[in-house]
Amino acid sequence: MDRQIRRVGVALLALICLLFVQLNYLQIVRADKLANDPGNARKATRDFNRERGVIQTADGVVVAESVATPDGKFKRLRRYPEAALFAHVSGYLSFTFGTDGVEKTYNDDLAGRSVEVRDVRDVLSDRVRTGNVTLTLTKGLQQVARDALGNRRGSVVALNPTNGAVLAMWSFPSFDPNPLAAQDQRAVQASWKSLQADGSKPLLARTFRERYAPGSTFKVVTAAAALERGPELVGKSYPRLRELDLPRTDANLPNFGGSSCGGTLPDLLKVSCNTGFAQMGLDLGAERLAAEARDFGFAARPPIDLNGPAASEFPEASSFRRDEPALAKSAIGQQDVSATPLEMALVAAGVANGGVIMKPHVMGEVRDSEGRVVRSGPSEPWQRAMSPANAASLRDMMVGVVNGGTATRAAVPGVQVAAKTGTAQTVGDNSHAWIVAFAPAEAPQVAVAVIVESQPGLGDTVTGGRIAAPIAQTVLAAALRTP
Amino acid sequence: MKRPRRNAELGLIILAVLLTGGLYALAGLGRSASLPANIFPFLGVILALFGGAHIAMRILAPDADGMLLPLAAVLNGIGYVFIARLDPDLAGPQALWTALGIGAFVGTLVVVRRARDLERYRYTFAVLGVALLLMPLLPVVGRNINGARLWVRAGTITFQPGELAKIALAIFFAAYLVEKRELLSEVRLTKGRLPDLRVVGPLLLAWGASLVVMTAQRDLGSSLLFFAFFILMVWMATARGAYLGIGFGLFAAGAFFAYSTFEHVQTRVGIWLDPWPKADGQGFQIVQAAYAFGSGGFAGTGPGLGSPGSIPAVATDFIFAAVGEELGLLGTTAVIVAFVLIVASGLRIALRADQPFEQLLAAGLTVIIGLQAFIIIGGVTRLVPLTGLTLPFMSYGGSSLLANYVLLAMLIRVSDDTARRARRQAS
Repeated sequence: MDRQIRRVGVALLALICLLFVQLNYLQIVRADKLANDPGNARKATRDFNRERGVIQTADGVVVAESVATPDGKFKRLRRYPEAALFAHVSGYLSFTFGTDGVEKTYNDDLAGRSVEVRDVRDVLSDRVRTGNVTLTLTKGLQQVARDALGNRRGSVVALNPTNGAVLAMWSFPSFDPNPLAAQDQRAVQASWKSLQADGSKPLLARTFRERYAPGSTFKVVTAAAALERGPELVGKSYPRLRELDLPRTDANLPNFGGSSCGGTLPDLLKVSCNTGFAQMGLDLGAERLAAEARDFGFAARPPIDLNGPAASEFPEASSFRRDEPALAKSAIGQQDVSATPLEMALVAAGVANGGVIMKPHVMGEVRDSEGRVVRSGPSEPWQRAMSPANAASLRDMMVGVVNGGTATRAAVPGVQVAAKTGTAQTVGDNSHAWIVAFAPAEAPQVAVAVIVESQPGLGDTVTGGRIAAPIAQTVLAAALRTP
Repeated sequence: MKRPRRNAELGLIILAVLLTGGLYALAGLGRSASLPANIFPFLGVILALFGGAHIAMRILAPDADGMLLPLAAVLNGIGYVFIARLDPDLAGPQALWTALGIGAFVGTLVVVRRARDLERYRYTFAVLGVALLLMPLLPVVGRNINGARLWVRAGTITFQPGELAKIALAIFFAAYLVEKRELLSEVRLTKGRLPDLRVVGPLLLAWGASLVVMTAQRDLGSSLLFFAFFILMVWMATARGAYLGIGFGLFAAGAFFAYSTFEHVQTRVGIWLDPWPKADGQGFQIVQAAYAFGSGGFAGTGPGLGSPGSIPAVATDFIFAAVGEELGLLGTTAVIVAFVLIVASGLRIALRADQPFEQLLAAGLTVIIGLQAFIIIGGVTRLVPLTGLTLPFMSYGGSSLLANYVLLAMLIRVSDDTARRARRQAS
């Protein structure tokens, strides 16, 4: 019987060895994957129950804070006192749906995981180690942007061209993040479902996650391409035309409203001359235009500190090889070109900042609970789109657009504004109204992009100059009043 | 007379008590950032409990193995700390059951003065075992919990008599197999010679009845444990590989039958193969356990700092997952090593025993503990399909704790008998 007993022992030992192997697999090999699996609520529970820092605006208004709850599953709940105003920037902290926005990007700071532990007392004491995030945005300007856009679907992005700090970033419609951060997860799911079902897409942060045809605002990029890469085109005078005969197609490219225009680059930009810019696009060729678009950040995701920014698109040069009409249309921001409002604000900011686009960011600084700065927003270049001299030339042309062109409604009394409007045709006769602008032209402090999406109720003639320019004007004026 | 084993045992028990106390303090710190108010009374009580068991052994089984009691103490202690930390409402009952379990341990040592006395009552134990198994099926006292009918209720106490039935049946099998092993060994399948039905009859009856009853109660874990235990007992008694072959064949056939007949068996196999698509439904428990193991990683979150509360039945069948989360691979390995040591001690007792009945009984009881630990840990870690069983000494549950202490006492009784006889011969 001894032999059998020994064999049973060996067999049991072998089985237990298998357990040990399986445990190593679960706790070492797959540990990270299991610990961070979206279905694993542990991280979220931890983040929910522990103290969490405040998100506030640059003018000191609390956007997100943790409040203790006397009863319920979680010890603390996240509250968003400004409701919808900053929803697309602050994001939310939802037990069921995770995090978004600043709540996601700076989760470790807010939860106190990244704040440095300096000595052993920090480990042993109950001292709060959470970080507080101060945004670059102000409630003042955000409200101005919201009120100026009103109940029209669209976006307003304002940023400081010299350092990339986002000053306002509003898109309508927005949503109230409070129901998503609530205690009762059944109610949270119901809120989420109704937001998802809403056809106006309130959850969508249009400012940096939605792309539109940029229309004539893209002519800033085409003009920059001519200045940077087509010296032979800078002095060229384009013939006055009503419409441009496109090669290899019967469809001609008309000017807006059937007017005729022509002349040199400044003249073309002032009146947003389609025929001139389309021909300029053909003259530049796909390679040079695509390269300049890339230098302005098209085809890349802007390095903003918010998750999920959409990359604006300009087609590969090779795709135009057999399609010159497409190239002509792309040169005026139609066809296959698409851009986020954030990207168009960055285009304006690049021109304003001597050709250098700074990294956009919404975080001004993170401070620990004792007020020491843990980190601060970057002031780093992202793209070099133009030489300073060419940027200055383009700026002067954009000043002309405000002083006697399509963007007269963007003029701010006492300050020189530079701008470019856009009216991008969508399906049928509908149009998106665009404008990009910055001011003061000689020493820019703020660059904006505004889009009012094509929608019913905008009136008979939807143009960037009529619909979007007044919004830009209001935002620029407010931004310059409250530096 | 010197008792070196007892002194070593006392040292190990003190170590186990200190370990439990330390874990208890850490769990308190993890939960509320302060030492538990009752830490010193707590230490006093567990020291009194296991110290009492130790003194009882000095009197009742002075020559027995000195490893088993400290190992049970450390597993029981870790289990208690986790139960108290997972559900404070269960801490009181578990403490009471631990006391009762140690009482049953001492009581068994008092009543069973010689292991071979048990041999005479084999049929009593057979009837007792089957009766205990059948109890939950009785109309008035039987209780259905979580889809399995394993409980008996008397007043406010619910009890799982099946736990004790295993021990009674182990005694019967050991005695019966030793008595008839000559006859059973004659089987030669190749020559068509089958054992006499009069010999195998009682065996098959007790075994078949137990399996049918467990299956009827939807207790897959116990059925599996019991099946494997029985086959191993027959094989150890007869040394006939044929029985292993028959056993394996029957197991395959039974598994196939169960799979094709019972929906809950198919479900279990399905979530074993891939629980992720059903992570919110039937696979929830096993997926949550996997999260717990993964979140624990190598060193664990620390006692009281994880959230194993999301795992259903975490205080009972899934307590090992809570250990995995809060103590990490280090903790789970320690628990596994403790079971390896229990199995090793049990089999060493079996090998040293000079009476065949005692040998087979000790080996069988060890197989029960070892296999039960493997089946439930394997199930929780998704190494094998999950079948509900308690983790010996660790899981919440009075019946399980009580039965395992009785089992431990039997092993110790065999060990003491052997050592005493050996000493008597030597002197």
